[in-house]
Amino acid sequence: MSVLAPESEAELAASIRSAWEAGEPLAIQGNGSKGAMLRPVQAARTLSTRALSGISLYAPNELILEAGAGTPLATVEAAVAAAGQQIIAEPPDLSALLGASSVQTIGGVVAANLSGPRRVAAGAMRDHLLGIRAVNGTGEVIRSGGRVLKNVTGLDLCKLLAGSHGTLGVLSAVTIKVLPAAESAGTLVLGGLDPARAVAALSAALGSPYGVSGAAFLPAAAAARVPALAGLGASATLVRIEEFAVSVAYRTARLRDDLARFGRADLLDDPASRAVWRAVRDVVPLAGGSGETVWRVSVRPSSGPAVLEAAEAAGGCGMLDWGGGLVWITAPTAAAEAVMAGARAAGGTWMLMRAPETLRAVLPVVPPEPPALARLTRAVKAAFDPKGILNPGRVFAGV
Amino acid sequence: MQTNFSPDQLRDPELAESNTILRTCVHCGFCTATCPTFVLLGDELDSPRGRIYLIKDMLESGGPATEPVVRHVDRCLSCLSCMTTCPSGVHYMHLVDHARTHIENTYRRPLPERVLRSVLALVLPRPWLMRLALLGAGVARPFRSLLPGKGMMAQRLRALLALAPRRLPPPSAAQSPQVHRAEGKRRGRVALLTGCAQQVLAPEINEATIRLLTRLGIEVVIPRGMGCCGALTHHMGKHEPAMAAARANLAAWSAEAEGEGLDAVIINTSGCGTTVKDYGFMFRAEPEPWRGRAERISALAMDVSEYLSRIGYAPTRPAPALTVAYHAACSLQHGQKITVEPKALLRRAGFTVVEPAEGHLCCGSAGTYNMMQPAIATRLRERKLANLAARRPDLVAAGNIGCITQLSGGDFPLVHTIELLDWMAGGPAPASLGPLLAARAA
Amino acid sequence: MIALPEPKAEVLARRDDIVAGLRALLPADAVIAEPERLRPYETDGLTAYRQIPLAVALPSTTDEVAAVMAFCHREGVRVVPRGAGTSLSGGALPLADAIVIGLMRLNRILSVDYADRVAVVQAGVTNIGITQRVQEEGFFYAPDPSSQLACMIGGNVNMNSGGAHCLKYGVTANNLLGLRIVTVEGEIVEIGGAHLDAAGYDWLGLLTGSEGQLAIVTEVTVRILRSPEGARAMLAGFRANEVAGACVDAIISSGIIPVALEFMDRPAIHACEAFAHAGYPLDAEALLIIEVEGSVEEQDRLLGQIRTICERFDPVSLRVAQTAEESAAIWKGRKGAFGAVGRISPDYLCMDGTIPTSRLPEVLGRIGAMSREYGLQVANIFHAGDGNLHPLIMFDANDPASMHKAECFGADILKLCVEVGGCLTGEHGVGVEKRDLMDVQFTPTELDQQRRIKSAFDPGWLLNPHKVFPLAAAAA
Ligand SMILES: Cc1cc2nc3c(=O)[nH]c(=O)nc-3n(C[C@H](O)[C@H](O)[C@H](O)COP(=O)(O)OP(=O)(O)OC[C@H]3O[C@@H](n4cnc5c(N)ncnc54)[C@H](O)[C@@H]3O)c2cc1C
Ligand SMILES: Cc1cc2nc3c(=O)[nH]c(=O)nc-3n(C[C@H](O)[C@H](O)[C@H](O)COP(=O)(O)OP(=O)(O)OC[C@H]3O[C@@H](n4cnc5c(N)ncnc54)[C@H](O)[C@@H]3O)c2cc1C
Ligand code: SF4
Ligand code: SF4
Repeated sequence: MSVLAPESEAELAASIRSAWEAGEPLAIQGNGSKGAMLRPVQAARTLSTRALSGISLYAPNELILEAGAGTPLATVEAAVAAAGQQIIAEPPDLSALLGASSVQTIGGVVAANLSGPRRVAAGAMRDHLLGIRAVNGTGEVIRSGGRVLKNVTGLDLCKLLAGSHGTLGVLSAVTIKVLPAAESAGTLVLGGLDPARAVAALSAALGSPYGVSGAAFLPAAAAARVPALAGLGASATLVRIEEFAVSVAYRTARLRDDLARFGRADLLDDPASRAVWRAVRDVVPLAGGSGETVWRVSVRPSSGPAVLEAAEAAGGCGMLDWGGGLVWITAPTAAAEAVMAGARAAGGTWMLMRAPETLRAVLPVVPPEPPALARLTRAVKAAFDPKGILNPGRVFAGV
Repeated sequence: MQTNFSPDQLRDPELAESNTILRTCVHCGFCTATCPTFVLLGDELDSPRGRIYLIKDMLESGGPATEPVVRHVDRCLSCLSCMTTCPSGVHYMHLVDHARTHIENTYRRPLPERVLRSVLALVLPRPWLMRLALLGAGVARPFRSLLPGKGMMAQRLRALLALAPRRLPPPSAAQSPQVHRAEGKRRGRVALLTGCAQQVLAPEINEATIRLLTRLGIEVVIPRGMGCCGALTHHMGKHEPAMAAARANLAAWSAEAEGEGLDAVIINTSGCGTTVKDYGFMFRAEPEPWRGRAERISALAMDVSEYLSRIGYAPTRPAPALTVAYHAACSLQHGQKITVEPKALLRRAGFTVVEPAEGHLCCGSAGTYNMMQPAIATRLRERKLANLAARRPDLVAAGNIGCITQLSGGDFPLVHTIELLDWMAGGPAPASLGPLLAARAA
Repeated sequence: MIALPEPKAEVLARRDDIVAGLRALLPADAVIAEPERLRPYETDGLTAYRQIPLAVALPSTTDEVAAVMAFCHREGVRVVPRGAGTSLSGGALPLADAIVIGLMRLNRILSVDYADRVAVVQAGVTNIGITQRVQEEGFFYAPDPSSQLACMIGGNVNMNSGGAHCLKYGVTANNLLGLRIVTVEGEIVEIGGAHLDAAGYDWLGLLTGSEGQLAIVTEVTVRILRSPEGARAMLAGFRANEVAGACVDAIISSGIIPVALEFMDRPAIHACEAFAHAGYPLDAEALLIIEVEGSVEEQDRLLGQIRTICERFDPVSLRVAQTAEESAAIWKGRKGAFGAVGRISPDYLCMDGTIPTSRLPEVLGRIGAMSREYGLQVANIFHAGDGNLHPLIMFDANDPASMHKAECFGADILKLCVEVGGCLTGEHGVGVEKRDLMDVQFTPTELDQQRRIKSAFDPGWLLNPHKVFPLAAAAA
């Protein structure tokens, strides 16, 4: 399969325009780390944004950064870290979990709207996306948003394209909001709670006035795979505070009192906290497991335990983030129905992150939409990509 | 906001005044959300901003008022919540007063309504007539459910009868013209507006006021010739009777003020207080001596809670452990912007004071409103009672007889703030607390 | 003055039938059709534009909304959705050949769940109504537009409204989880739910800020947050607008992000003080309101650091609120600011462009110069932390010349915002007001792309027509 890697936005537009004229589908990728996720795309050629790389504008005092879509995420992270700032949504590196090896790009992260633990307090990738430049399915360059922090001019195509998995347009550049990184982090660990008690504790923590920025639950097996937690020998319920160092000390102390009814919490210091939350972010505890499928289920937090139980009953294992609202599951292929039924029963949504290609081609990788929405999906897809050449069938069959 | 008056129209001082008010409004809509009728009915036309627009249209056109405009202006409670909210300082009260006069002068209401309004305007301001009417109503009250009809008029008559008290207190001698001497050294001298409806329905309020003030060293004058403040007719758009009532009061108080002198004109019915404080405006175009008198009297007018805060109040007996929900009468909180004094005094007296949610919303009493718009008034009453009940009070205190009548019959007794203050400073326990205190003692 | 096309005679001719059709669907008091009673609906928060609608429908349930939409779709009648009518861009401006659907009767809070931190409310619930409902449990709904007392959540969703505290908590779009919408065909559709990040296209993100162009919103699921331990505001007065602008830059650069960072210039300070009696410094040319959160010690520490920064800019006054009442008065003044300008001028036009914060001093200087050129006073009140400007141009609507000048002045300010790298509107929306300026910010290709999305939702362009998209283009 040939890979096109245009070196400028104009080249990118020209490539897509000729594909459009030829009616020839394109698989869109940043760096091609997506082998295992969603539905397989049937395309003769692959279009990569990896050559559209580089930070074009970084103004720390205006809290904004603009970069080519193909810029490695790590490059962006290093640049903002050097100025004491961070990407707010804490995007994960799921390579270990999904068995991918290439370097992820900022465009890919945005196109997949991937966010980490901080999402529960500070918003998703799409929430801090200020501007985009993209090429639609006929080769036209379109911009939305801009480089300012607040903007409601016209329809919000930034959010529409974030999470559209390359099916509406190919991003050539993105502008994101960044914020000063917290001076320090601290984590309270409650050992040995069952999932329902754990989520009750996480709800209490998130419902406290102390600005909790991470709230996760690792069952015993998962906790055992994180070095700092392995000593517990039991499940770990994690609550993070990121603040000025004095505030971290103060707030974790207050929280520990508030959570006393759930047991005595241990406090992880700054380096240990960072290591633990990196593991949660990247779903390391579930990586390399025997499960053939990886699922990401999003539900109201109080339903997280039930979804987890349903998966476990079907032979899977998992962990909870976002206060219980994000359920990561690895499971055998046969558990697919049980996982989807669990998510459905909780009124939530799922995304199949990794599975053998045969399975991905037949399963709904995300929940099917009701007819009215499905109609809108097709109509909006046609509004961007009338011939359906961009990542056809990536999310929904035939779209 | 843009207006459209001809230069000719603007030569009319009333229209010129309304034009100024209209131009202050920037149509921001803040006031809609705190208007009781908008909250209930969900229609711009029943919001202050909508009414301002309807009034603007009516006044600009110069023609007679029409039914749709009258309908929505009539539904206004004159609670003045909108004025508290308005950041621009739009004087809605003067605008709607003008509109009501215009309506009264140019619009012919259906006959039964005209009769009802005339009867109310005749009876309510005259205590002796009111006594007579209430005695009659007392006889009719048990039969009110037999009144036929679902129409507005039938509803109104039923409401009227429902509001009539079961038992009428005997007339109180303390309220007739006289001078109540201060106890001990005289620290001040005030005139007390004894009100019209209040002196018939609840003479204990004036009695408590007189007792407390004289005990605090204040001489309380009840001047001869004083009567209704004029608010009842004023709010019906009946300009002349309202001015006549005001003039009588101005004459009575000015005689005292210019004679032995007055430190204040004390009002314990906040609805009246708002009007007396507005005499200065009402008489702005009148010849002297009225204009000057009105200005001076408006400046002297004070709610009893305002006056007590100024001269100082202290309880003389330990307070029983009672939780008092303070119901802010609109005329106090919105009309006169008196919000902290009554609560501070009640706390000073030793009570635990709580406040209901939606404290800014009217209870539906609003002068004669509960008789003219019973459906809306009843919904507001129920909403207010529920909000009060949610605070689990032992009793409710308010500074206005209208609210007290409107909210009676709920799960808790209602008293005037002054009755509680008097009680804690040596007066008798309010009679309406009898059952509560008996239950406590048992 | 922005032109609106001639109403369709064919629709006007069917007026009586349309009204009768609506009356068959809704209770008697829910359809308004008499000319006098329609008049108060002719405008919203931007009174320069007015048009009397064909009729007003006031449904009380989602089903009634759906019935009305199905009827209008069948009959080819255009629809203007309306919340509280506080839009400052003419978003809810009626049209002579369209009916207004007022959502204010959908005013119930349907459920509150503290464990999952969500509330489900109908579109006509006021913004502050949500906070009032949950505050006794220590929670709040974060986006706080100054109009929060009156504006409704359905309007907030459609305008993607922001507020003083969105520097920390984000705008409406960042605080939503789900919507219940009625499509132009009258179908009821659920979007999202009580969970984060639904799969499929981000309908929630697209509908937020869509200005009534795509669907009618009848229910909203919002995130509610636990209030911080405490918050305190500080007032810092400066000798010149530019100095205050530089101080904003210094604060943000220091790594401290206050929860709110608001700016007012001299005319605004005076108008607001007259309304709120908050103790604003009347001798300052520019004022910053800076708020921090946390425990008392945390507040003290942050305020101390901010004070040190402010002191580098030779402030006229620095004052920290000592009590909750003082803080409340400070915010009452700021939130009543637009209205308070009504005290010093009969009318104002409120601009809403956003600029890169580093360009603040320069842009303020140029607005001042334009003000002298046009001979119209400006009061500047804005969200300094995120560069969202609100210059209020004062004029006299009873004088057509003054009004025309104000409009030209406004357009010049917005063009300036785009020129320095900003945008036309940060939170008030395009509406009718900025419609014809859209091509300053977007290319024809980009506008076409947006229009195709509109067409995907509303092929007949029945929803809130003649707004947002420049007319020539919209006709396509
Ligand atoms: C649910 C999910 C799980 C994932 N897990 C992993 C993982 O474990 N490891 C990993 O490395 N990646 C993973 N990915 C891919 C995800 O994009 C990565 O986190 C990261 O974004 C990869 O970057 P990339 O540059 O390789 O993008 P790709 O993986 O090449 O692309 C990600 C998606 O975005 C689209 N896309 C990429 N660039 C653009 C662009 N410029 N404009 C428009 N669309 C674009 C692609 O078509 C694709 O649908 C996952 C994606 C999803 C949706
Ligand atoms: C004094 C003042 C201060 C303000 N301050 C701020 C501020 O600080 N921040 C800010 O962001 N805005 C502010 N605004 C602007 C305005 O309050 C907001 O835009 C608000 O969200 C509008 O809400 P509304 O309920 O009044 O909606 P409306 O004005 O009635 O409607 C707004 C738009 O949304 C559409 N719409 C309304 N409801 C629905 C629905 N249910 N379904 C579909 N479409 C709908 C309308 O068609 C219209 O296009 C201010 C306005 C005023 C007057
Ligand atoms: S006075 Fe009361 S009822 Fe009348 S418009 Fe104002 S707020 Fe509404
Ligand atoms: S709040 Fe004041 S300025 Fe605003 S609409 Fe109401 S009356 Fe007019």
